[in-house]
Amino acid sequence: MSAEPLLRVHGLCAGYGPVDVLHDVALEVRQGEIVSLIGANGAGKSSTLRCISRILAARSGSLRFAGRDLLAMPAHDVVAAGLAHVPEGRRIFPRLTVLENLEMGAYRRGDAAAIARDLHHVRELFPILRDRERQQGGTLSGGEQQMLAIGRAMMSEPRLLMMDEPSMGIAPILVTRIFDAVKRLRDQGMTILLVEQNARAALRLSDRAYVMETGRITLSGTGAELLQDRRVQEAYLGD
Amino acid sequence: MIRGRSLSPSWILLGGAVLLGLLDRPLGLGLVDPMRGVLVFALLGLGLNVVTGFTGLLHLGMAAFMAIGAYAFAIGTCDIYPFQLGFWPAMVLTVVVGAVAGFLLGAPTLGLRGDYLAIVTLGFGEIVQDVMKNMDAITKGTQGINPLPPPVLPGVGELGSEEGPWYWLFLGLLVLAVMACRNLERSRTGRAWLAVREDELAASCMGIAPIPAKMYAFATGAALAAMAGGLWASLYASTGEPGNYDFQVSILALCIVIVGGMGSIDGVLVGSLAMIGVANIALPKLAAWLQARGVVDPSNVLGSPNNWKYLVFGVVLMVMMRVRPEGLLPARLGRVGGGR
Repeated sequence: MSAEPLLRVHGLCAGYGPVDVLHDVALEVRQGEIVSLIGANGAGKSSTLRCISRILAARSGSLRFAGRDLLAMPAHDVVAAGLAHVPEGRRIFPRLTVLENLEMGAYRRGDAAAIARDLHHVRELFPILRDRERQQGGTLSGGEQQMLAIGRAMMSEPRLLMMDEPSMGIAPILVTRIFDAVKRLRDQGMTILLVEQNARAALRLSDRAYVMETGRITLSGTGAELLQDRRVQEAYLGD
Repeated sequence: MIRGRSLSPSWILLGGAVLLGLLDRPLGLGLVDPMRGVLVFALLGLGLNVVTGFTGLLHLGMAAFMAIGAYAFAIGTCDIYPFQLGFWPAMVLTVVVGAVAGFLLGAPTLGLRGDYLAIVTLGFGEIVQDVMKNMDAITKGTQGINPLPPPVLPGVGELGSEEGPWYWLFLGLLVLAVMACRNLERSRTGRAWLAVREDELAASCMGIAPIPAKMYAFATGAALAAMAGGLWASLYASTGEPGNYDFQVSILALCIVIVGGMGSIDGVLVGSLAMIGVANIALPKLAAWLQARGVVDPSNVLGSPNNWKYLVFGVVLMVMMRVRPEGLLPARLGRVGGGR
């Protein structure tokens, strides 16, 4: 294929204490792609993202992002390298205002004009955040908090946006809005790595996808291929 | 809606303190003397507020840094040591020593979370007291280091037994500390503190290194506590015995922060006024009033309101937790849920 992928994960193994949860995981995300990682609860999807953003230590393997070795940097430098992580459960700052939450996303940037431009962009993407700007983050509904978490990640001017279960625990009407926003980000050229339990929604908007089972990648293909795959349909699409 | 720039409660309180300093003697209030204690504890509270209020680290050994400050100041000024730096250089040294001590305690311990860190700080508070008590050669054991020479201020001369100049000195330093804390809260470092307090993992996802942020908080808090200790020693011309800097003092600092409102500089000021004001002003006045009317027998220990201090503190804390757990002047009042 073409040039080096933006993100390349190879032979990744990791675990918690004595328990191994990732076994030889390999995946790639190319510039401009939206790639999703689907699978059951506990398959290792979140752990994979946590390894990539260096929150969880990798036991072996290699992680390369934009020509750099992620394993050589601490967690707090990953975002400065251009990789933003919207963590599972949103993890917004509850007692800071919505605006302060967004500003925190730009913590490692100094270019005031570009930050203002990105803030404008986030407000366009999620108008509700503009209305709630002076409210404490913790007073938002789950769906609004998810929008805030995505907006906050966008404020770091990422080259790759990783989202962990953006639809989890959110009212269906807001899930639609969030997936719409993901689509708009994709159309604007953002590269996205998406972890989702809602496999159908994820596969529909993905260029490619990987299926994880018990810490291993077991299937991969384009979103359309996997939607048609009988094993995927039986296991994850409820057909 | 246009919201006018409202005067912050801090400046109202500090303005009130200035007014009190001016009116105390003409009106014969006699409040300046006990108010000096309020000012020193406000400094200690500001220090703890950085650690516990801004950064969310429960610290139960703040008195240790106050002790370290008192001894650093005493060693820098007392004529039994060769340094005899004078008030201002010694105070600068005290603040630096406090910050370094904060770093030294923080470096090995800040990887600990929540309760574990609290226990370590509690232990540190006890250890420092014992070290001061037993390191006779340097600290003079339970005698404490004394006498300390009085500060010399330009235009005022040597501060003696008159209370006024001391009051203005302490108030001036407190104003400086309040300004420093305000600027810190709004700085990059301050934002990192708040982010770490709210969610350490998310803070790290924002590109904030949590451990260095906590180290700065520890060092800043310790520096302010050391300054309070230095002033305390200077006021009494002695460090006093190491037992003066015990767990009660650490808890009192925590009460000030909780009663005032965690993470609120305004709160620290009102909290120290409430807690120390009750202990040093209201209860003694009540005791004198009752005694003058012959209501209580002075020989009856329980009958004197001076001995009710900890009972009052305990009741105040319980009532606060029931009625207003966010504190008297919570952080960012009026910004939360405000208009569009």
